[in-house]
Amino acid sequence: MIARCAAAFAIFLAVMSSSPGLRGADDNDAKRKSLEFFESRVRPVLVEHCQKCHGPDKQWAGLRLDNRASLIDGGESGPAVTLDDVSQSLILKAVRHDPDASPMPPEGKLTPAQIADLETWIRDGLAFPEGAKVGGLPKPDPNHWSFQPPTDPEVPSVRDTAWVRTGVDAFILSELEKKGIVPAPEADRRTLIRRVTFDLTGLPPEPKDIEAFLADERPDAWNRVVDRLLASTAYGEHWGRHWLDVARYADSNGLDENVAHGNAWKYRDYVVQSFNDDVPYSQFLAEQLAGDLLPAEDRQTRERQLIATGFLSLGPKVIAEVDEKKMQMDIIDEQLDTLGRAFLGMTFGCARCHDHKFDPVSTADYYGLAGILISTRSMESFVKVAKWYENPLPTPESEAAKAAWEQQVTAKKSEIEQFIAAADAKVRETLPEGAPAPEKLETKYPEETTKALKELRDGLAKLEKAIPEVPTAMGVSEARVSDVPIHIRGSHLKLGDVIPRRVPTNMRGPETPEFSQSQSGRLELARWLTDPRHPLTARVLANRVWRWHFGRGLVASTDNFGTLGDHPTHPELLDWLAHRLLEDNWSIKALHRRLVLSSTYRQSTEVSPATLAADLDNRLWSRFNVRRLSAEEVRDSVLATGGLLDRTAGGPVLTVPNRGYLFDHTSKDLTRYDSPRRAIYLPVIRNNVYDFFQLLDYPDPAVANGDRSSTTIAPQALMMLNSDLVMDAAAGLAKRLADEGERDDAAKLDRAYQLAYGRSPTPSEAQQQLAFLEAARRTVSETAGSEQAVDPWSILCQVLLASNEFIYVN
Amino acid sequence: MFNQPLTRRHMLQQSAVGFGSLALAGLLHEQGLASGGNTNPLAPHMPHFAPRAKRAIFLFMKGGPSQVDTFDPKPLLDRDDGKPLPFDKPRVQFAPTGNLLKSPWKFQQYGESGLPVSELFPHVAQHVDDLCMIHSLHGSNPAHGGALMKIHTGSDNFVRPSLGAWLSYGLGTENQNLPAFVTICPTLAHGGVNNWGSAFLPATYQGTPIGNASIPAADAKVKYIANSRLPRAVQELQLRQLQAVNRSHIDRSGPDDSLEARINSFELAFRMQTELPQVEDLSDETPATLAMYGMDDPVTENIGRMCLLARRFAEAGVRYIQVTHSDSLVQWDQHGDLKNGHAAKAREVDKPIAGLLADLKQRGLLEDTLVWWGGEFGRTPTAQGSDGRDHNPEGFTHWLAGAGVKPGFRYGATDDYGYYAVENKVHVHDLHATILHIMGLDHERLTYRHAGRDFRLTDVEGNVVHEILA
Repeated sequence: MIARCAAAFAIFLAVMSSSPGLRGADDNDAKRKSLEFFESRVRPVLVEHCQKCHGPDKQWAGLRLDNRASLIDGGESGPAVTLDDVSQSLILKAVRHDPDASPMPPEGKLTPAQIADLETWIRDGLAFPEGAKVGGLPKPDPNHWSFQPPTDPEVPSVRDTAWVRTGVDAFILSELEKKGIVPAPEADRRTLIRRVTFDLTGLPPEPKDIEAFLADERPDAWNRVVDRLLASTAYGEHWGRHWLDVARYADSNGLDENVAHGNAWKYRDYVVQSFNDDVPYSQFLAEQLAGDLLPAEDRQTRERQLIATGFLSLGPKVIAEVDEKKMQMDIIDEQLDTLGRAFLGMTFGCARCHDHKFDPVSTADYYGLAGILISTRSMESFVKVAKWYENPLPTPESEAAKAAWEQQVTAKKSEIEQFIAAADAKVRETLPEGAPAPEKLETKYPEETTKALKELRDGLAKLEKAIPEVPTAMGVSEARVSDVPIHIRGSHLKLGDVIPRRVPTNMRGPETPEFSQSQSGRLELARWLTDPRHPLTARVLANRVWRWHFGRGLVASTDNFGTLGDHPTHPELLDWLAHRLLEDNWSIKALHRRLVLSSTYRQSTEVSPATLAADLDNRLWSRFNVRRLSAEEVRDSVLATGGLLDRTAGGPVLTVPNRGYLFDHTSKDLTRYDSPRRAIYLPVIRNNVYDFFQLLDYPDPAVANGDRSSTTIAPQALMMLNSDLVMDAAAGLAKRLADEGERDDAAKLDRAYQLAYGRSPTPSEAQQQLAFLEAARRTVSETAGSEQAVDPWSILCQVLLASNEFIYVN
Repeated sequence: MFNQPLTRRHMLQQSAVGFGSLALAGLLHEQGLASGGNTNPLAPHMPHFAPRAKRAIFLFMKGGPSQVDTFDPKPLLDRDDGKPLPFDKPRVQFAPTGNLLKSPWKFQQYGESGLPVSELFPHVAQHVDDLCMIHSLHGSNPAHGGALMKIHTGSDNFVRPSLGAWLSYGLGTENQNLPAFVTICPTLAHGGVNNWGSAFLPATYQGTPIGNASIPAADAKVKYIANSRLPRAVQELQLRQLQAVNRSHIDRSGPDDSLEARINSFELAFRMQTELPQVEDLSDETPATLAMYGMDDPVTENIGRMCLLARRFAEAGVRYIQVTHSDSLVQWDQHGDLKNGHAAKAREVDKPIAGLLADLKQRGLLEDTLVWWGGEFGRTPTAQGSDGRDHNPEGFTHWLAGAGVKPGFRYGATDDYGYYAVENKVHVHDLHATILHIMGLDHERLTYRHAGRDFRLTDVEGNVVHEILA
């Protein structure tokens, strides 16, 4: 934990120092090793034990230990380091507690290993990163492209103006023309409708929609297809899922104690609905960070906004952590890391322990942000096994139920009182005149009265327990507003200066907001992020949307816009898109149209040798990339083609109660993935992701991820050949073909191709498949024995579902 | 970290052969270059330096076996039974514990090395001269979840690639028809799949689970390895047709790395489907071998089968094999009733583990196979309740055996009562660094760039324990 970024840093240094120079390779190597040694063994000691008094802020005895020159120059007692007589260096004498030096550090002696490390470091030449001060080095580049406010570039002029349909095309074509590349021709309509239907809805096009598009001769036929798809509920189910990747959505905690996020589905449904409603991204962002602090006109809005804050709550937590303070800071770290990646493409995690080595995020920035989250209530209790907080979401029904219940309780109570009064009166009647009444008349009740009273009381107890449940949703609320001290090297046991709540200050753009003393500051954070002048928010989103359409971002590292991230292939296009996003009031659907209606998007995947030579990796978008369907698309289209997909939307998915264990000490897997509903409505169980998805590169739901990979491994093939899901769907497709009426094999084959591939088979394909069908019939009858005979059509249908043409989109 | 060989696209471009050249595809395939789209990610890689071991078997004892009751005897603990621990307990404890509790078991020295082993492991004791005990292991997390993830992935608070995934990534595998990393009956609790997952490494490096801890080893299967509906002849016919359909598709759409790779993946899958059941089929083992693993006794049958499978996978060229001793109940986690609990657990594993060591040795496999035994933490020498021990990550024993380590050797020590590692301390990161070293990998050079940073198994920690290397 302490320095989880240092490996990256060491490599960075290695790269820096191994660049060709005048010195020989060995010198470079030695220098690199010394620097690595400094970074791993010396810098932590200097920062933790020396710098507070001998650093940039204070220079006790005139001594500063944060750069090489100051060490050699020394302070009032002379040089701290004597390179010609290393062991007599003042700094070593001090840490060794030699009698002729002041013992340092004052709070206690360093370990022998630390002292030895200091000596080794000095002996090896006192390596310091060049031009470096110990605090934050090497200097992060404040001029890094992504920290500058986006420009609003002119749309470039191009020679082939006819190709330009949206502004996107001008930027793309202008680069292609500079390289003498001709864009790929427009894909045919069958390819296009298959491409865009999967892209916008995650489902294959229906044969009737294909035919309608092919027959539509109006000039805006393509726009109409896009509009229809954007208006479908399937759109939100598919694009909402993209966002859930970024929100590291899961229906269970994962990590150490895998308990159920029983109400997480409300956040999932909120996301789907927000995409379908085209909620402006600025509002979507603000609701997720600070929905509880936003005004709400009505109960539904209020509820939606509270559910949205589930974004902050959904992270994996080590809830059996024994050290509660550490747990709290770990949770905040996870929240910061996620919101940093999701909204800014920044890795804040590094700054927990040290100033970010590459990006302008200091430890103070980190703890300034941490103050916002420590002032936010994310947890109900930190006592292991800890519980996350959930906002109550009372409904008229739940309120009515509660009122009815309260009435029943009151009625029951008064019934008991009346009963006691009557029984007491009877007892008093039996008492002799003038005798003092016993304190508890109940002791004198006859047996049947006692029994009846007990029954009444038991009834009350039972009623009181049956308090009607008020619905709740994972989310956050406000806690006591407070600021956080710097945790030195990330440790909550070593605290430094308290940092007032703030946002990172080194990014160019909107000024740092004033933080309210009566609120956590999440609202101010959200407003700062969605300020049109913010350099990152709109760019990061525009790039994400580009990535999800085109398979690779204009900035390939979608979640890292820092100096270690990739540079944009088309910086002006990215800025132009960011500006249009603002102009369109953060409408994501408007952004889709800019991209999908372009000629760039409509290119075919074909590539000429000349283009391949000039743009091997398609960095210039000289064609469309062939794409393997995502895990969810594979599953949903297998089921849809087999006629088995249930399109019911939304709602809970778990069989385990909220906070119940998915796995305790046992390994019994109670999670069911055999629901026929769309993939987004299957449970997402951390530590045990549905194997069908996991094999197809579903991302780890513990970490924000806007850039899924796509690998090809043999176990995927086993799954397509042997899983019940695929075989059931194949049987389903065979049944569908049979149910559609008495037709010959050729007609059935044609229909199967329409359903699976959106086209008819070529004559040679048909011939080949029908020959296979005959062979399959023969083999089945030859091998038929103990087992139930297999339907040869279902064998053929499985071939279609498992084939490349089904799994890949052009 | 490894040089990326030419992608197929680069080859096509540079060789000027043109498109659709099946001859070239065949050539690439022969060279093992085609099946991953650019290169086969699991082709055997050259290690950083000469490896001491070619493969490793991790025998993981879930729950946390007690060091002071198994391999690390403490005479003062016997003497001071019932007295308070004479020094501070850790700042963070899983739960409060009471006074010292002596071990219910006697220790005895064995073999030429004279290493001590308690009565719990009479069969393993016969092999002490092959064992290299590390008594000073320590971790950083006193809860099962965190400690399991630490032992398996090096991180207790982030999802990181498991040790086996790093090994697959660094070394590839010797048998392309089998996974590089298998884990037999792993627990789904406490980190679950993360403990054999590949996290941000490509999915191809993740462990292949064979069943899970709630399934008897005899019923444990790799998911989707067999088809329950189609006779083999029918499935072969189906696969041929599928490949024909895929070929004709690629001929129409033009060459593409990923399409080629997927065609090859079906070939590999079918070979895997054929070979894996053969490895798992024990019918060619002699009754004597089965007995050696304790498979003739219902108590030891389950772990015996796992250990035997481990040997067969090792023989077949799998790089990293994990056996998990767990079940649906409490495993080695005796917060109470230490005596009965540990005795029952030890009885289940003692003979099978001894059998595995003997079998590897007689087959010459121990010379290039590393065997690693241990739990996620040890237990407190102080009592929980009257007769239990709590979790203790501060000092506990793991042992290694076989390739690369000094046989009949003890390294490091806990204090007089067995609570803290005090001498030659070995952190979990150090153990990981050492295991990678034995396998020929430098833990500081085995890195993977993810989200703009270079990650490694040992984070920024880890020192190779050279003293235990043979």
